[in-house]
Amino acid sequence: MKKNKAMIFWFSLPAVLCLLIMFVYPVCRTVLMSFFQVESLTAGLSDWGFYGLGNYSKIFGSQSFRVSMTNMLLIWLVGGLLTLVLAMLMAVIVTSGIRGKKFFRAAIYMPNIISAVALATMWIQYIFNYDYGLLNEMAKVFGGDKVKWLGSDMKFWSMVISFVFGSVGYYMLIYISGIEGIPQDYFEAATLDGANKPRQFLHITLPLLKGVIKTSLTFWSINATTFFLWTKMFSPIDTEESTIVPVVYLYDTVFGGKGVVTRDAGAGAAVGVVLTAIIIIVYVITEMLFKGGDLEY
Amino acid sequence: MKDFNWKKELKLLPGYIVVVLWVLFTAVMLGWILGASFSTSREIFTGKIFKFESGFHLENYVTAWQVQNVSVFFGNSLLYSVVSCFGVLAISAPAAYVLSRWKFTGGTALRLGLVIAMSVPAIMVIMPLYSLVVKWGIKGRILLILLYIMMRVPYTTIYLLDFFATLSRSYEEAAYLDGCSAPKTFLKIMLPLVQPAVVTVTIFNFMSVWNEFFMALIFTSSESMTPVGVGLLNIVNSMKYTGNYGGMFAAVIIVFLPTFLLYIFMSEKIIAGVTGGGVKG
Repeated sequence: MKKNKAMIFWFSLPAVLCLLIMFVYPVCRTVLMSFFQVESLTAGLSDWGFYGLGNYSKIFGSQSFRVSMTNMLLIWLVGGLLTLVLAMLMAVIVTSGIRGKKFFRAAIYMPNIISAVALATMWIQYIFNYDYGLLNEMAKVFGGDKVKWLGSDMKFWSMVISFVFGSVGYYMLIYISGIEGIPQDYFEAATLDGANKPRQFLHITLPLLKGVIKTSLTFWSINATTFFLWTKMFSPIDTEESTIVPVVYLYDTVFGGKGVVTRDAGAGAAVGVVLTAIIIIVYVITEMLFKGGDLEY
Repeated sequence: MKDFNWKKELKLLPGYIVVVLWVLFTAVMLGWILGASFSTSREIFTGKIFKFESGFHLENYVTAWQVQNVSVFFGNSLLYSVVSCFGVLAISAPAAYVLSRWKFTGGTALRLGLVIAMSVPAIMVIMPLYSLVVKWGIKGRILLILLYIMMRVPYTTIYLLDFFATLSRSYEEAAYLDGCSAPKTFLKIMLPLVQPAVVTVTIFNFMSVWNEFFMALIFTSSESMTPVGVGLLNIVNSMKYTGNYGGMFAAVIIVFLPTFLLYIFMSEKIIAGVTGGGVKG
């Protein structure tokens, strides 16, 4: 087939431009901006003052940023454990030979395809509602007391639980695809040798799922680090200490919010760089921990 | 239909209980929201939503649609989703095609760049984009359309690239011998051959743009360009003053329905697409 240089040029040019405008240029400018004192986003390069690591020491010196990092870590760790364990449980059940496999798989994945704003509203305005919400109605049936799920002590965990509910389906699909990739004769041989289901799971399924578990960990880390929407829904008007996460801190710092006296685009850029560095570090660590995870059968 | 085997089903019982409870919970939640969207605030607070003593309050939907401006948000989201889907294809399909067919200078770099761009978090790009947009004076609906198109290009290109790569070169050779030009061969022969992949990736692009929230929140400067996600957030926030719970739940249902209906009809294709592209075990 003849190589048509003009065609290659014109066919790939729009994609190249998109990549440059939407990704390459902004990422470079954000990294650069994190080392400069920049008050407003719209300030031209000439108004930037070199600041060294000033922005970084500013954000790490900020109480709200440190709280937001702690919250993020809790979401990553506790939310991650809950999500990935539940997803694995659902994946094992769905592939265990139950009837209506396709229905259950589709129904459990469903929360992932609807608008997260709508999903969060359903949880906040119904499940967690103090007066008529599902949880408090159930508490009434069992003779328990009503709980203020959205009060400041419970809010964070309510948010994490509803976020987990919305995420499980996606990781379940990843695990299902992994489980279905394992040849059936492994399990048949193990059954003949007298290994029960839990043992089969521990000694066959789990080790062979190394690759997909690695993938799911990377995705979860990106999800937890860029956590934003659910905080915005649980504390819509004013950012609260109980639910603040780094991206919300960034949003308030750059675009203005409660308690932000002067906007600081440079500090916002530094937050972005720190979060991206975290994602890269976690990615490298998981790659190292799960080395040789890509098994071929 | 498999034979019903009591012993086998009994063994699976704990599993059934877990998934049935999970799905039941989801169904109760959706059912309740649907019921509440037809009820008055009073009925919601007194727990009488499924009795419909005062009838079906369809006017909740009318209020949401007209007074709370859901019609505007809905129209905007539809516009953003549909136009972006076509725009992305117009950019990604040609690029994916040439990338899969020929080795050329910068080709590998472009491919690598697209793969990396897929996992660049939005927080790393929005600030410079914001200043660019202000500098260039881009305003209104066209702004979000452009952003959404560019946002979806990396994923779409990489997804289509894998499918173009599976096509045999004999199609192009035959077309060449028949005197068909290369661009025409792409448009008339190669693109139709990857149609299933185009459909899948378009569904994903549609849902992704419909549900996008972060960029919409930052770049929306007026009510007339607000998409459904940000619009719903505004409705929920203003509810403290309006007290119209029925109207809010009606708005939730309206926002939730399009992707939900798409999912009802296409769940197999969507689920196959989630783990088919990019995610490899």
